[in-house]
This record gives sequence, structure tokens and C-alpha cells, in this order.
Amino acid sequence: MRARRRRRTDWAKVGLGTFVVLFFLFVMAPIVVVVVVSFGEAEFISFPIQSVSLRWYRRIVEYRPFIDSLLVSLQLAFSSALLACLLGIPAALALARSQRPLAQALATFLLAPLSMPAIVLGFALLYYLSALGFGVSFDALLVAHTVIAIPYVTRNVIAVYRAVPGDLEEAAAILGAGRFETFRLVTLPLIKPGVFAGSLFAILISLDNLPISFFFGTSSTNTLPVVMLSYLQNQFDPSVAAVCTVQMALAVVALLVVERIGDIRSASV
Amino acid sequence: MTDRPALSVALEDISKTFGPVHALRPTSLSVEPGEMLALLGPSGCGKTTTLRVIAGFETPDTGTVRIGGVDVTDLRPNRRNLGMVFQNYSLFPHMTVGQNIAFGLRMRRVDKATQGQKVRDALALVRLAGFEDRFAHQLSGGQQQRVALARALVTDPSVLLLDEPLGALDKNLREGMQFELRQLQKRLDITSILVTHDQEEALTMSDRVAVLSAGEILQVGPPSAVYERPRNRFVSEFLGTANVFEATVERAEGGRLALAVAAGTATVRSLVPGEGILGGRRLVAVRPEKIDVARNGDGIPARVVEHVFRGSYHAYSLEVPGRAVPVFAYRQTPLVDGAALAPGDAVRLGWPAEWLVLLDDEAP
Amino acid sequence: MTAGDIAAVPARRRRARRFVGLGLGWSLLAVGFLLAFFLLPLIDNGIKSFFGPDGFSTAPYRKLLSDPYYLAVTWRTLQVSAIVTVASLLVGYPVAYFFVRYAGRWQTLMIMLLIAPLLTSIIMRTFGWQVLFARRGVVNVVLRDLGIIERPLNLVNDPAMVYVGLVHVLVPFMVLSIAAVLQRIDPRLEESAMILGAGRLRAFLSVTLPLSLDGVATGCILVFMLTNGSFITMLLLGGGNVVTLPLLIYQQFNLTRDTAFAGAMGNVLLVFAVACLFVQLRLIARRGVKA
Repeated sequence: MRARRRRRTDWAKVGLGTFVVLFFLFVMAPIVVVVVVSFGEAEFISFPIQSVSLRWYRRIVEYRPFIDSLLVSLQLAFSSALLACLLGIPAALALARSQRPLAQALATFLLAPLSMPAIVLGFALLYYLSALGFGVSFDALLVAHTVIAIPYVTRNVIAVYRAVPGDLEEAAAILGAGRFETFRLVTLPLIKPGVFAGSLFAILISLDNLPISFFFGTSSTNTLPVVMLSYLQNQFDPSVAAVCTVQMALAVVALLVVERIGDIRSASV
Repeated sequence: MTDRPALSVALEDISKTFGPVHALRPTSLSVEPGEMLALLGPSGCGKTTTLRVIAGFETPDTGTVRIGGVDVTDLRPNRRNLGMVFQNYSLFPHMTVGQNIAFGLRMRRVDKATQGQKVRDALALVRLAGFEDRFAHQLSGGQQQRVALARALVTDPSVLLLDEPLGALDKNLREGMQFELRQLQKRLDITSILVTHDQEEALTMSDRVAVLSAGEILQVGPPSAVYERPRNRFVSEFLGTANVFEATVERAEGGRLALAVAAGTATVRSLVPGEGILGGRRLVAVRPEKIDVARNGDGIPARVVEHVFRGSYHAYSLEVPGRAVPVFAYRQTPLVDGAALAPGDAVRLGWPAEWLVLLDDEAP
Repeated sequence: MTAGDIAAVPARRRRARRFVGLGLGWSLLAVGFLLAFFLLPLIDNGIKSFFGPDGFSTAPYRKLLSDPYYLAVTWRTLQVSAIVTVASLLVGYPVAYFFVRYAGRWQTLMIMLLIAPLLTSIIMRTFGWQVLFARRGVVNVVLRDLGIIERPLNLVNDPAMVYVGLVHVLVPFMVLSIAAVLQRIDPRLEESAMILGAGRLRAFLSVTLPLSLDGVATGCILVFMLTNGSFITMLLLGGGNVVTLPLLIYQQFNLTRDTAFAGAMGNVLLVFAVACLFVQLRLIARRGVKA
């Protein structure tokens, strides 16, 4: 009897595994539901859907505010990410390897916007920028979104640059490269993954931002989330589901493209 | 890799502090054209700082760096025309082997065709012909090391700096590379400075060794001279193993000292060259392979504690009454008077007077 | 070298120059930008909240701290954050543990599934919950088919929905924070505790759990901070039943335009955020010492 071997069931693993499966059902459910609903045919939202149609995608194209605000959002996301790169990359390079307390303090400051409630920042910026003379405008939105984008770019570039051994740049210098050549041929290609990851985050966050954007809303500066929110508060039809699905698809494509470009470039420069 | 005369390197009163730390106390050093000089010392001794000052990565607080007689102290690293092999090779991970090697040529605006030819020559020189299109991460440690060497040499630098170049290789590979690197350096007749903490590497590869400790150069000289005639206790113990004894000066005349080393119940007297005060207490050192072991006689009485066979020699640890640390003796043969030495044997120790080294240190 | 040699060295000292890398000055563009458009606006807002139309006044703060309604809102803001934090921890810890110890080759898939929600907008996820919990939504249908309920429940606008929505949005942050720390704990520690006779649960409670508290703290402070600033979930799923400071700011701005009062509420929220940031920095500093 004692010698009998039996396979022990690892109950902890089975239990945890079940929990994890349920967890991911919970995580994915609302997202899947929205995607499915967007392909429904009926006038009202129902799930599961009765028949498949693309009518709500046509509705997006016909409803001007969706298209207009999508264009504003894209323009805003990319220009604020670009601006954040121009400001944040030099800062990240300057701060990443310094051991000085001042450098650490400055790095913390550059990440601080992540920790502040965006709605307070949006509110404060609106009145501050109005006093400066550009209250509700695309420029004001750009400034506000850049404030949020800088921490993402800085944080990612700092992390990547810290992992780059310092003697690579010294090797370039000893081989005859000046400061600019070292930066262009060695530093920049090596921090590229951080720049791409940081920009991607900044772009995604900007596309999804509501707490700041809604303070600066006018018909010409409404971003997509602002328009969606007001649509959702007034109407409850599947067109919002279609917009959400398009937005998600854009994010996924952006992720894939950025990763692909990042890889190819960093392998061939 | 053209024919051009090798250049000298000279450091004059170089010093460097990092905050409160004296990385380098005022130091002077000259490296002859075509010579390989090893900077040897434990970590934190200032050897890497010295190399970085020569490379131009650190600005010395005081002093002058000259390469080929020209003051380069204020010249940027990229204008010094040096070659350098880093500890972890520091190959650019986003470039191929060929692009890595061509980098220095590109910076010197060499045309593409010449670049290609020189890269091929450099790869052939380090026996890696045909590896142009690989990436560093596809190569073994030894291959990466060779690529780093090719990259450092292809620009025909006036001086080659080697920062622990073999530190990341395993032991077998390291010994092979030591000889290869040394031969290449001789063939190219390029002035080279090697930083290492490995005494064997320093002895094998260099024309002269500089031993550093706490930011100071303690001794410079050919490997055999520094090994056989260490100037002080630190050098004698850092470079190999040394048996250090206290000695009393019994006579001082005509540049020679009569020293008496008293240990256990015996006193061994030797006459050595040197200056000293009558009755002064000094430290002396004897290398383990110079210790004579006899069964009888009037040498220092000792007892064999341990015997270890090390392949090419036999190592004995010996206990001397009244002495805290053991005396080590290395012998080609375990036989003494026809019988093998074994733990527990009582023996008498001595040494030929010419192998007793008088150290600078006063005895405590 | 002797002391005499050192004394003989010329007094001239060179200024150390940097040959590789950038000086701190290069950070000034970004620092300046954030000073001008992040710090100054917040300070400006802080000052302005003390100045009503009739000059200096602490009226907004007195109202906020004495009126039972606003006091309740402030209190509820912290309460919601605390509940969401605890719920995320309870849900997230087992997932993080599974991810590190058991997931094996499924780790990549798990990471992707954890990141996926971050690619969707908050509106999308909130909207999804609205659909699921609608009167004729999936949840009601399933519950009725199972015979648990007879008439559909009015789930949307139930306060519980706000918690479900918030946990859904924030739990990935908790999982990732805890997993990052768990990953550095050697599983052999737990095994050696078991060899020493501890039961599996004991081994976990006495070895792994204490060692992972760093990640738990990081995740908790992050989730607490993020909940503190949330309002879209409250707005869309709470139906006006879960009013917190950010939601009130949104409403005040949209409806009453009482900017001094909205500013004052923003400052209270800011104080909470700064406190969280302070705790977060202390955690990082402590970890830095340990490493």
C-alpha cells in the first residue's frame, strides 16, 4: 500500500488557474462585448446581436463630429508626443546617469505630472492659459497634452539609457567620433526602443485623455473622447461601440507599427 | 597598419581626485615607443584612472599628458588618435562586425572602398576573415574580443590602450589570447598600455610592469626584476607569494648589509647589497621557490603542515615556532635526502643569500 | 611619492570637463516647460482659490470642510479609493502569483492580455459594462435563466458598478507591480521553508508574502492615486450615486461654473496626490537602499 505511487493533483495550481481564467474573462468581457455590439444591426444596443452589419461604421463616417474630433485627436496625440520627445529626450539623457541629488530631484519632477490628478491639472491649466491669452485653442490642448506626455518619454528613455553601457559612447569617442557624431551614430540608435515605447504610451494616453481635454472643448478643439462622452450621455446607440472599436484598432496598429519600425531600424542603422 | 614610428607616452605629475578620494596622487610615468607597459594593482588602486586620463575621458587635476612628446592634456579623446579595447569589448550592438570595425575609418572620412579593404585586412589580422556581416551577439566571447582588437587597430592608432582586455574570457582562452595579443603588439610595434589586476597576465604580456596601490606607482620595471627584486612588502605580496621576515642589521659597510633573521631557535645570517643603519630592524622577503629545505643543519627549525601538488611543482606550508604565519616553500621534487616530505616532518629552512630581498619597509 | 612631492605640485587645478554624455543643463528645456505649464498653473490655482470676487476669502474651504454634503464627498473620495485598492489587491495578488510561479510558457499571453485593456479607451470599457449590466443585458439574462432572479435588476447606476468598473481599469497596474517584485523572489526560499516543515500556506505566508510587500505597497499606492483622480467611471456607471471630488469638480465646472469652489476642491485632491507621491518616493528610496 505504502509503495503505491499516485499522481498528486496540485490543488493550489488548479485553484489559482481557475481564478486566473475567470480574471481574464472579467478583463476581456466588456471589451469583447463592445466590439460585438458595434457589428449589430438593430437600432438599440443588444447583446448578443441578432444579425451582423456595418451600418454603425457608416454612421461614424456620416456623423461629422466623430471624424472631425478623430482628426483633432490624432493631430494632438502625434504633435504632443513629438514635442515631448524634443523636450524629454535631452533631459532623459542628461539625468539618467548622473548620481547627483539634483539630477534625481529633477528626474522626479519630470515624472510628477503622472501622479497629479489630471482633472485638477486641466482645470488649473485652463485658467492659467486663458490669463496668458490662449485659453481654449489647439495650442492650449497641445501644451496640456505635452505636460502629460513628457513623463512617459522621459521615463522610458531614462530606463533604456541606463541599461546602455557608458563605455559604448566612450568607444565611439576614442575611435574619433565627436559629440554630435557619437549622439547620432551610437546614442540615438541605442535609445530608440525607449523613444518609441515612450512616444507610443504618450500617444495612447493622449488619444484616451478626457479629464484634461474636456476643459478645452469647442467645436474645433473637441477631441474624440470628449465627443464620445457627450454622445454617450445623450444617445445610446451602437455607433459609440463602432468608434471605440476603431479607436482600439488604431491603437493596436500603432503598437505593431511602432514595434516593427523600432526593430528594423535599430537592427540596420 | 602602415609603417610609422611608434610613439612614446609620458605622464608628468598627473593627479586626480574624485571628491575626497585621491584616485591618483601626483604620478609620473613614461612609456617607451613600441613598449607594452602593464599597470597592475588591486581594484581602486588608480590604474583605470591612469588609463582614462591617457584616453582623455578624465581631465587630470594637475599635470601633463604627452603622446610622442606633444602635450595632449586638453585634447578631446576623439582627437588623440588612440585605439582602445574595453573590458566588456563595447562593440556597438546595433552594428555588424564590419560596421563596428569601419566606425573609426568612417570618422576619419576614409572612402568606402578603402574602408572595405582595411576592414578585411583587420579581420584577417585577428583571424576572423569573413565575419563582416555578423552581429556582436552572434559571436563568442573570444571572437568579440578579437573584433574589439581589430576595431582598435584598424585606424592605425599611435597608442593602444587595453583595459582588462581578457578579463571576461575563461581561463584557457585567456592564456591563448595573452600570447596572441603580445605577438600582434610586437609585430605591429605599437606602444601599448595594459590595465590588469591579474599578475600572471601582467608578467606574461608586458615589457615593463608598473605596480600601483592607493593611487601611487610603487615600482616600475621589467617583469622579472619586479618579481625578483620587489621594492616593498606590498609589491612582494601582490606579485606572487612572498615569505616576509624581520631582520636586524648587524653590520653596514660599503653598500652592503649583514642581516640576521632570527626565527624559532635559529638565526640565519646573509650579506645583501643595500644601505641601512647598524642595529636597524628591516623587512626582508624570500620567494617560496627560493627556500631551501633540509632534514638537518643549522637552518630555521620548522614542521611540515601541509603538502599540495600543483601540477608543475609541490607546495609546502611550514610552521615555524613563534611565527604567526606559515612559511611557504615550492619545490620541483618532493624528495629531500631520498625521502618524500610529509606532514609532520621536522625540517630546517634556509635560502641562498642572493635571493634574500631587502624591502624598503621598516620592521614594526 | 612622499608628502614633499605632493606639496611641490603646482596649485593650478584644471576644471574637469565632460567628454561623453550630456550635462544637467540639457534637462532645462523640459524642466522649464513643466515649471511653466505644470507647477505654476497648480500654484496659481492654489492662490486663486483663496481669492473670490471680493478679495481674500477662505469661504470655499470653509464650505468644503463644514458643509456635511461636501465633507461626505471628500470622505467618500478616500473611501472609494481605499475600497478599490483593497479589491484590486485581493483580485490582483493571486493573478500575479500565478503569473510568476505557474504560468510558464503562458506568461507572454498573460502579459498581452494584461496590456490589452490599456490599448482601449476608458469610455470603451465603461460602455462595455453598461451593455453587460443593462436591463436586458447579458448578466440579467443569465441570472434569470438560472432562476436566481425573476425580474431584471437595475444594475446600471448601482454603486457596486462603479467599483467593478474601477477595479477593471486599475487591476492590471496592481498585477504588474506585484509580479515585478515576486519575480525577484527565489522560489527555493518557499521550498526550503517547506523542507523545514512549514505547510504550503505557512510557507507562503511566512516567506513569500512578506518579501512581496514592496510590490504590494507600490501597486496599492498607484491604484489609490489613480482612483483618486478618476471620474469617468463614476459619471457613466454611478448614475450620480457615487459622487467624489473629481466628479464634483466636473459637475461644478459644467453646471455652476463656481471656479473658486472647483479650484478649492482641486487643491484638496492635489494634497491627497502629493501625499501619495511622497509615500511613493519613500518606497522607492527604501528600495534603493536595499538594492
